[in-house]
Amino acid sequence: MSDKIEVIVDSDLEDLIPGFLENRMQDLEKLQQAAKRGDFGTLQSIGHSLKGVGGGYGFDRMSKIGEGIENAGRTSDLEAANGRVAELADYLSRLNIVFE
Amino acid sequence: MPRQGGNRHSILVVDDDRDILLLLKKWLEGGDFNVVTAESAEDALMEIAASKPNLVITDLFMGGMSGLDLLARIHEDDPLLPVIMLSGQARIPDAVKATHLGSAAFLTKPVQKAEVLEHVERALRINHDRSGEQAIQKNVIYRSRIMEELVDLALLVADSNVTVFISGATGTGKEVIARAIHDASPRRDKPFIAVNCGAIPEQLLESELFGHEKGAFTGAASRNEGLFQAANGGTIFLDEIGDMPLTLQVKLLRVLQDFEVRPVGSTRSYPIDVRVISATHQDIDAAVRDGEFREDLYYRLKVVPMHMPTLAERREDIPLLVTHFLGAYAQKNSKPVKRFAPEAMEYLTAASWPGNIRQLMNVVDLCVTLSKTETIPLSLVKKVLQDKPGDFITLKEAKQEFEKNYLIGVLRVTNGHVANAAKIAGRNRTEFYKLLSQHGIDPAGFRQARST
Repeated sequence: MSDKIEVIVDSDLEDLIPGFLENRMQDLEKLQQAAKRGDFGTLQSIGHSLKGVGGGYGFDRMSKIGEGIENAGRTSDLEAANGRVAELADYLSRLNIVFE
Repeated sequence: MPRQGGNRHSILVVDDDRDILLLLKKWLEGGDFNVVTAESAEDALMEIAASKPNLVITDLFMGGMSGLDLLARIHEDDPLLPVIMLSGQARIPDAVKATHLGSAAFLTKPVQKAEVLEHVERALRINHDRSGEQAIQKNVIYRSRIMEELVDLALLVADSNVTVFISGATGTGKEVIARAIHDASPRRDKPFIAVNCGAIPEQLLESELFGHEKGAFTGAASRNEGLFQAANGGTIFLDEIGDMPLTLQVKLLRVLQDFEVRPVGSTRSYPIDVRVISATHQDIDAAVRDGEFREDLYYRLKVVPMHMPTLAERREDIPLLVTHFLGAYAQKNSKPVKRFAPEAMEYLTAASWPGNIRQLMNVVDLCVTLSKTETIPLSLVKKVLQDKPGDFITLKEAKQEFEKNYLIGVLRVTNGHVANAAKIAGRNRTEFYKLLSQHGIDPAGFRQARST
């Protein structure tokens, strides 16, 4: 699990990335708390925004994971939500960003 | 709206997600646009008033007012301000609704830089392909300033889906401009369907427009999808909309609000994506005041009003139009092109043309047919114009004239006795009174005639 995941990001966006990742870490925390509470509305809504924002910045897999969390929230599937939130935590911890 | 120097296009981006705002701002500033942002639709409305942007990009779902409501509000004030919608979900009903409300594009998140810039440039008509312009130039013949302004407006509305209302006298070319808008629009490869609402009997118009199920009424031997569904993806042109009966106006309003049609006798509705252009030669403002045309429908139809000038208001276009009709006649009949003698052309240019372009076309065709020489002389033009082919009244006017004379006739025979007159006419008294009032006939006048 320690392998880095390389993501190529447009160098024009370099100054935005630290703030962007900080916001995603906050999202992760909120998602973990929501999963603990069984708060499917919050899971669905944060999942939806992750899906919308990830791909634009170059983080396509983040959009995919966000979509999974959104769907889990919509169908009140706690097991799937926990799995997807853990996947996001793993993804964020292993990111290696290359600006091109 | 040039882009040079300090005159760069300004774009308002609306999203409740700050990371999306920052991303779009970065992309658009890189594309040499000025960018302002708002985190809610409510703030966006204030920003539009303050900074007058050239384009708005808005998220669909936001806390508070939605992107669709924002789009509707924006177009209430400025129907030509392009709005691009962004949605987290590619839901077709939202996309259809956004299209009907006049959005310039509907993009699904996550969006990519190239996609956003392409749609922005298209909406702002930067580097746009000139096919739309060419389509209008090909169909609309003019050189007058008044028509140039009209064509500019037609080009501006062609790219969006806003509802257009064309007013103007009979024969001024309302259908020509409607078709030109369609041909210049992204819908050009889909159907353009023209319906004359005044020419179809009231009972049939509903099923013609919205369709019917098999057996929905006597004579409905098979299912008919209706003209709205047939025009799906394209444009429907509702000519003589002022003749649409009130009962059907309610139904049309519902279609324009919900973007779906329910065929006669059907229990289900069908979503439609149709651009509506309507037209009339009547004074609809007066019809609204008289309660003959629904005000709410009128406002929905005339998002962008266009007024066709009479031929007399654009005399400088007459020689061009005449040349065009001469060429068209020759081509249609595989004959060499004839021409008018200079003094004949002068006479045509100065004539009164109550029947407008349609009358001009008829006169040109008649002159070509009757002329024994290649050059059409002034004497022939004078003769044809004295015969006044343009003074023909329309069938509707002829029917109304007949109806009025008929009513007067039965009132004379019955000496103004309304019940007897109604009986002869095969109508009940209420209906008969309604007819009399429509024609401004007072039965009392006929009773007085009896006593003198």
